[in-house]
Formats: sequence, structure tokens, C-alpha cells
Amino acid sequence: MENSAKDDYRIQSFDMETQKLLKTALKEPGAVDLEKVSNVIVDQSLKDHVFSKEAGRICYTIVQAEAKQSNGSAFRRSLLNRLQQEFKAREETRERSLQEWVCYVTFICNIFDYLKVNNMPMMALVHPVYDCLFRLAQSDSLKNEEEVDCLVLQLHRIGDQLERMNVQRMDELFCLLRDGFLLHDGLSSMARLLLLEILEFRAGGWKLSDTAQKYYYSEVAD
Amino acid sequence: MSFRHRSRHYDDRRTDDSRSSRGASRWSHCRKRGADGNLRPQDAPDSTVFDDAGKGVKSRIHPDRRPASFTTPESAGPVSRCADWGSEVEQEEIRSGVRRDMQRYRRRILAGDFNERERKTSSGSSDSRDSPIPAEMETDEVVLMRRQKQINYGKNTLAYDRYIQEVPKHLRQPGIHPRTPNKFKKYSRRSWDQQIKLWRVKLHAWDPPVQEGSDLQAIEEIDLDEIMEIESGTGNSEESGATVQYPKASKGPVTVPEDSCSGTPSKVMKTEAAFDLEMCLNEVEDSKLLGL
Repeated sequence: MENSAKDDYRIQSFDMETQKLLKTALKEPGAVDLEKVSNVIVDQSLKDHVFSKEAGRICYTIVQAEAKQSNGSAFRRSLLNRLQQEFKAREETRERSLQEWVCYVTFICNIFDYLKVNNMPMMALVHPVYDCLFRLAQSDSLKNEEEVDCLVLQLHRIGDQLERMNVQRMDELFCLLRDGFLLHDGLSSMARLLLLEILEFRAGGWKLSDTAQKYYYSEVAD
Repeated sequence: MSFRHRSRHYDDRRTDDSRSSRGASRWSHCRKRGADGNLRPQDAPDSTVFDDAGKGVKSRIHPDRRPASFTTPESAGPVSRCADWGSEVEQEEIRSGVRRDMQRYRRRILAGDFNERERKTSSGSSDSRDSPIPAEMETDEVVLMRRQKQINYGKNTLAYDRYIQEVPKHLRQPGIHPRTPNKFKKYSRRSWDQQIKLWRVKLHAWDPPVQEGSDLQAIEEIDLDEIMEIESGTGNSEESGATVQYPKASKGPVTVPEDSCSGTPSKVMKTEAAFDLEMCLNEVEDSKLLGL
């Protein structure tokens, strides 16, 4: 029940009516309009970066509740289709608002992380997620610390799962990242640091060695 | 492997036209969920009406830039292979479910207890159900997924819920109670479809009582059923979602791709904006007045 406590905490950021909607969706999904619920969650994720990092958990809980109650998947369907809509508009989104774009990538990766189909990641999301990460690895995005930070964070979280679903694309992505690290003129030293760390992270089998951990995280303490 | 490639097609499809390619099913009045994908009360009167509205209003429109080759010429609406992420994931779910079931089935054969259980519960009727010869197991994933979808259609009915509640498994009698066809046995397409049909007909006995005041619905249902009968007779029956939608158009050779991503009925239905719903309902009211 630690989960539901966390969900409750997250839900606080909504107005009362929406809170009620979400709470009902978590307990009795059949009683609410699940498309509306999915839209509420996506909308909030696109606005609120903190929420976008954790929204997957709420979605997971609703999906479970719906499956248990009625063996249905209406919520998942409308959530995914809304995500797809946003995916198609991602370039415009990025142009309009970097923050919203970063929120979108964070959210879709979080969904990829939390929602599983028979305990496997959703194939349908593998390429879209890769496409988002590839976008973040383009040179104009690498100039932007916010986007590099997002890229690196997502790879920390779901890199190993993504790689298992499709090694080839991960290899391609890391070629881009190496090139970016090595050849890109406009990179800030912070961006370089983040890239170096993720390169080491993957090279170490999606974990940092103790010395690397020390190098990247304990300088401040010294 | 192939699904990896297919999942690349996520990109340029509109999310909502998949809905218009599916609509009222023959049993739509016993569906657990309404057109919005939500559970509906057992006697909700508007579901069939809405489904028909979808048929009448939406399916004739080709709503987007989809090239004509993406549509099935004989039918009125687009039938895409994978319309949207939601459907794709449902497809994945069926596929991995079928794989899991297959392993389970193989284990049961190996464990040897399969034969026994099969004999105890099976109908002993004339078909070949009672001879589980592992070598004759159906392993074609396309076939298995198609069959699973048909089974899901049957199970996603109020009748099925009522049936499994009212008759516990150990009380079910061969020949009297419906028994889900075994998707792992080798059957001809025609034989399988017939088994499904008989199973569905038997399940029909557990339909919720029809409410007063919904005579019109009942008549519509009967009409649809008769059309289905004809089609099943020719061995051409497809999953109901695909066929019933365009009863007239599909009398020729079946043109719906077998693995078109139609998912299961509960999942097919998607929430319409309340505004649309209202409009569609009005449309239906109008067309009824006009004697349609």
C-alpha cells in the first residue's frame, strides 16, 4: 500500500474535482470515463516535469485495476493513442516549448518502464521511444543541457530494457552520442560530463563501476 | 521477428479511424462494454443504437489522408493492419498470451495429466477433441491468434460472465453446456469456425433478459444474426467485428486481412467524445424516423 500512498501524494497537484476523478479511477475504473482520465494524466505530465517522472505508476495502477475489475484495457488504449498523437506532433511541440517536449519524453519513457504486457515491455513503444532519444541526440539538442539531461536520465532508467528489445538501434544511438561527445563544438562541459558518464554507464553493462561512481558523484564531498 | 518490423508503422496513422472499421457485432446487446469501452449496465439501451450510429455515420467517411490502397474496396471503411498503438499493444498481448498458453499446453502434454483431464471433462462427441496427439498440435501463430480473438469475442459477453458464474466448472456437462473450443487442435478453418459458432449459439442461452421497450433493438439483432448465419454457412465467417460491420459488402470473398488488428471487442471500443456521442445518437434518432 506504499504505492497508493505515493499515488495519493502525486494526486495532490490536481484540483479537487480531478483528484476525485483520479481516485475513483484507481479504485473503481469502471465508474469513470477512462479516456478523460488518460487525458488528464497526459496533460498534467506535459506541464509538470516532476509529475511526468512518476505518472507511470498511477497509470500502472489504473491499468491493473481495470484489468482486475473488468478484464478491460480501455484506459491503456486511450493513453497509448493519446501518446501517439503527441508523438506525431513532437517536432512542433519541441519548437513551441522545450519544457513540454522534455516532459513528453520523460513521460513516454516512464510509461515504457511501468506498463508491461505479460511482463514484457510494449513492442509498440520501442521504436517511438528510440525516436525520441535519437531526437535528443541530434546536435541542436545536445547544445541544450535540459535535453541532454533528459536523454541521459532516460537511458539510466530504461537503457538496459531498450537495449534488450533492440540492440541495433541502441548501438546507433551510442554512435551518435560518442560523436557528440567527441566532435561537437557547442557542447557545454556539463553536457560533456553527462555524455561521458552515460557512455561509461552502458559500457559497464548499464551500471557504473565503483571508481566511476566515485568520479562522477563524490567530487563535491571532497 | 516480423512484429518488430511491423511496429515501425506506428508513425503516420491516425488514431481514431480504427474505430470506424468496427462496429455493431451480432451480439452487441450483450456486450459487457459500451462503445466508450466502459462497462455498461446490463440493460443499457443505447449501446446498439450507438454502434449503428457508428456504422451509419462514421464508416463511410475516409477521414484522413490514408491512401485508397489502405482500404478494403468492398467495405465502406478503412481496415488498416495496425491502426494505433493501443491496438498494436493489444495485438502484442494476444500474441504473447498465445505463446504462453502454448508452452502451458505443451507442458500439460508432457506431464501426461492432460489426457486424463481432457477425457473427464470433454463432451465425448463425434469430433476429434478427445485425441490429443501432440504431433497434431496447431502451432501456426497466425491461426492461433485468430482463434484466440474469436474466443475473446465470445468471452467478452455478458452471457459468458453469467454462464461461468451460474455454472461452476465442475458442474458443466459435456454436450449440454458450452465448452470453449480448443485452439491448439488441428482443425480446418471451416470446422473451427463452426465450433466457434456453435459455442456462441450455446452461450446465447445465458444472455441477459431483454428489457421491455427495446423491441427495435431485438429486431435489429435478429437481422444481424441471420446475416451472420448465411456467412458462416459459406465458411467465410471472419471475426464478427470485421464482418458484421459491413454485412452486405462481405458476401463475396473475405477481404479483411486475417491479422488485421481488430483486437478483442472490449478493447476495440474506444471512448468517443461526449459531443460525438450526442451527435451520433441524434443521427440515429433521425434515421429511425425516416424508416431506416
